[in-house]
Amino acid sequence: MLPELAFDKLGADLLLAMCEGHGNVGPIVISKGEKMAKVRTDVPYQLVTILTNIYPFIGQKKLALLCRRCDEKALAELEKRGLVDEKRVLRIGLACSADQIKACRCSDPVPSVVHIGAPGKPAGEDELMNKLLAMPSEERLKFWTAQFRKCNKCFACTLNCPVCFCDDCVLEERTFVAEKGIPPGMSFHLIRTFHLSDKCVECGECERSCPAGIPLLTLRKMAAKDMKALYGFVSGDKKKVSPLLTTLEGEPMEDECHEC
Amino acid sequence: MTEFEPTILAFCCNWCSYAGADLAGVSRLQMPPNVHIVRVMCSASVKPEYAIKAISQGIDGVLVLGCHIGDCHYMTGNHRTAKRFPVVQKLLEDVGIDKTRLRLDWVSAAEGEKFQKVVTEFVEDVKRLGPNPLKEVRF
Amino acid sequence: MSMARTGVFICHCGHNIASIVAVEEVVKFARTLPGVVVADHNLYSCSEEGLSAIKTSIKQNNLDRVVVAACTPRTHEPLFRKICEEAGINKYLFEFVNIREHCSWIHAKEPGPATEKAKRLVAMGVSKAALLEPQAETESSVTPTAVVIGGGLAGLTAAASLVAQDIDTHLVEQEGEIGGHLSRVSVLAPEFDESRKLLDSLMSGLAGSEKAHIHLRSKLKDVHGFVGNFEVTIDEHGKELKIPAGAILVATGAQEFQPVGEYGFGELQGTITQLDLEKMLSEGKAPNRTVFIQCVGSRQPGREYCSRICCNTSLKNALRILDLNPKAAVTIIHRDIMSYGTAWEELYRRASERGVRFLRYALANPTKVTRKDGSLLVEVYDETLAERINVEADVVVLATPMVSRENSGDVSKMLKVPRDKYGFFLEAHVKLRPVEFATDGVFICGSARWPSSAKEVMCQALAAAAKAAIPIKRGKVIIEAITAWADPDKCAACGNCVTACPYEAVEIATQDGKQIAKVNDAQCKGCGACVAACPNDAMQQRGFTTRQLGAMIDSLVKNALEAEQ
Repeated sequence: MLPELAFDKLGADLLLAMCEGHGNVGPIVISKGEKMAKVRTDVPYQLVTILTNIYPFIGQKKLALLCRRCDEKALAELEKRGLVDEKRVLRIGLACSADQIKACRCSDPVPSVVHIGAPGKPAGEDELMNKLLAMPSEERLKFWTAQFRKCNKCFACTLNCPVCFCDDCVLEERTFVAEKGIPPGMSFHLIRTFHLSDKCVECGECERSCPAGIPLLTLRKMAAKDMKALYGFVSGDKKKVSPLLTTLEGEPMEDECHEC
Repeated sequence: MTEFEPTILAFCCNWCSYAGADLAGVSRLQMPPNVHIVRVMCSASVKPEYAIKAISQGIDGVLVLGCHIGDCHYMTGNHRTAKRFPVVQKLLEDVGIDKTRLRLDWVSAAEGEKFQKVVTEFVEDVKRLGPNPLKEVRF
Repeated sequence: MSMARTGVFICHCGHNIASIVAVEEVVKFARTLPGVVVADHNLYSCSEEGLSAIKTSIKQNNLDRVVVAACTPRTHEPLFRKICEEAGINKYLFEFVNIREHCSWIHAKEPGPATEKAKRLVAMGVSKAALLEPQAETESSVTPTAVVIGGGLAGLTAAASLVAQDIDTHLVEQEGEIGGHLSRVSVLAPEFDESRKLLDSLMSGLAGSEKAHIHLRSKLKDVHGFVGNFEVTIDEHGKELKIPAGAILVATGAQEFQPVGEYGFGELQGTITQLDLEKMLSEGKAPNRTVFIQCVGSRQPGREYCSRICCNTSLKNALRILDLNPKAAVTIIHRDIMSYGTAWEELYRRASERGVRFLRYALANPTKVTRKDGSLLVEVYDETLAERINVEADVVVLATPMVSRENSGDVSKMLKVPRDKYGFFLEAHVKLRPVEFATDGVFICGSARWPSSAKEVMCQALAAAAKAAIPIKRGKVIIEAITAWADPDKCAACGNCVTACPYEAVEIATQDGKQIAKVNDAQCKGCGACVAACPNDAMQQRGFTTRQLGAMIDSLVKNALEAEQ
């Protein structure tokens, strides 16, 4: 069913999906006509991140990929910035299971078109976030500094993030992150969160990849809440320009707008 | 024990707030000596990363001063400043740092008195908050 | 990278700095800073003596970075940069630290803390200076053409002056005829000249010259470019015309405020504006009983300014009424008569001698205008007499202010020049640069800036034309080396910088097969908006790089927080 959907119905040349192979499950690119590996739709992974990595090498070929709602939003954010051509990236809508939705504390789990899986109901709010927001600021600071102390700058969060598109990350240098070794100070995490504030899709890959178990997804959800409150911003929306780059009226000035 | 004297970093734009600060000086308007100004051409060039870096490293307060909305020498520069810094303030709060430590305000080249007022107020506000808690944090 | 050899020069500025900041202590401290090979002090760094001392020190100590701690860079930076150049150092390897306006003058009662702050500021300056790079200023050629927007008195005067200087000038006027308000006002005071004569003399300077190009029924449509290299697009009654230009002059004037709803304007017959009266007088008609009400719609909440010319215009017209109709009764109801200077004050006196009655009113007790028994009845509370006075009139002239033109917002957007809260254009500096905008190559004159009398308009127009001629005559423009650039290795081509730039100076282009941001140096105005928008530090601004400013922050952290411990 999946190969017909990707290659015949959607007209793709390539299919990117999580497949079984070598005794494990990992992202694999299958060409049209190639022998299909066994696709697994129950293993959460950031295929959009893989897409951005292989994008320079697929030329003008059309690529279909299994897209959860968060992946869809990530693609929209990349398209806004001209980093991906929406005409060549074809989406196969994958609805997440109830367990997956709960693990991500996901409030927006259903892709716009569902090809695989049954649409699930949004999970409740992030409990940790609510707990933190209710705390006095000194306690909150104690919580986060204890968490960030575990960070060893492995950059898994950055490398696996679908909307983190810089090849040379500013956090690798010491211009803004003054600490020589590990753990890096507060600026590492605050700058990351700020850079993600107008693009994070809350896919949770950062939290899943963090070897130190820092609740990064919770921090992202707090930032998303702030952006919604300040500018009505929701990632993956139809607006062409980030709210951080528009004027106060919300629209780029006509003589300045350069949709890239 | 001596009273806490905050260390404050300020970014002032060449055309408005830096000129306003100059006017305050020319008018001999007195203010507390806690504020250190970095001159930039436009408040729009002040990266939020600078404010985050400064606070991360223990600076008690960061003040970003630009031209009034509509008066930016570079047209809409200060609009972007106005959009960015509230986000940084919210993020600081999210991790438990009082957002009062970061202030964005508008001072024109003619507003020496406003400069004095903003500086004096900000120093008081930061004094009241106490030293930046990140100074004590050993990461 | 070799270690910088920095020289630090602390200025006493007489006793302006030295009476509060312990200069010699700061000098001693400066000597301990990384890279500083010499630190010294001068009584007045900007004096001949001070400047030559700095030059000598640069040469003797083989310095390659200079830091001067003194007043504000906004006045003397060019001076010290020049000295560096004369001593053999690239002028962009100079850093100015403000320890007067930002230190000694504002902490006069705290010399101890002021000295400590001065030390920290100098340290910040030294850490930035160490990272400065030599820069080359680029030159841009200038199109030897000027475009004047507006064909009224300001535009005509400026255009005539430019043409007299042999500069190709295009005059763009939206109406079907030239002259603006000058055509609607037949007599100009205080000399009582005929405006027709002035208009004719200005036109004769233009009409005969092949350098003058007048476009009637034409509107400004679009403007691209920068000083010396503008592309001005106009709509010449339906036809689009592109004019390459080196300088643009805004002479769009202002318009008369129509006081709809006030004092019966629009409802009661006989309530008219000053321009309506001008028309009557030019036709030789002078009413028997006239009441002028001044400050209608000005000097009040919402429009606080005085429009400068209305009182004098009323005085002029009062005298004209009396010349045409010696038995006429004229009353001027005012909230101050702003007849400034000798000539206008003379008119005020003459009007008074010829029987014009002046009654003072206040906003607290508004004047009422109604119709009674075939005449207009003006009920005014005179503040001086503290009495209510009724005046009958055939005509009530409402002296209203000049207000900004409705389309000034469009012009403002197209030229990227600011306006004040009343919609009038804002000059670069009230005293130092009164007829130009902060945007290079764009100039302002006439009532578009502020309601002005005919003579004032002409002076401003001549000044603007003289200033506009400078880049055109010079033939080239020097671009200050504070422009931005993108590191092609880091750039991720996300386009943030393109969106952030107010001058269309950045675009995403292909270089060596890779998509990266490219800055057009000539168009870049050095605001740094792109730098803040860039997520990965690829975008940098010369003279304000992230490493330089980051080093200043590190320096403050080191010196301030160390002191706390």
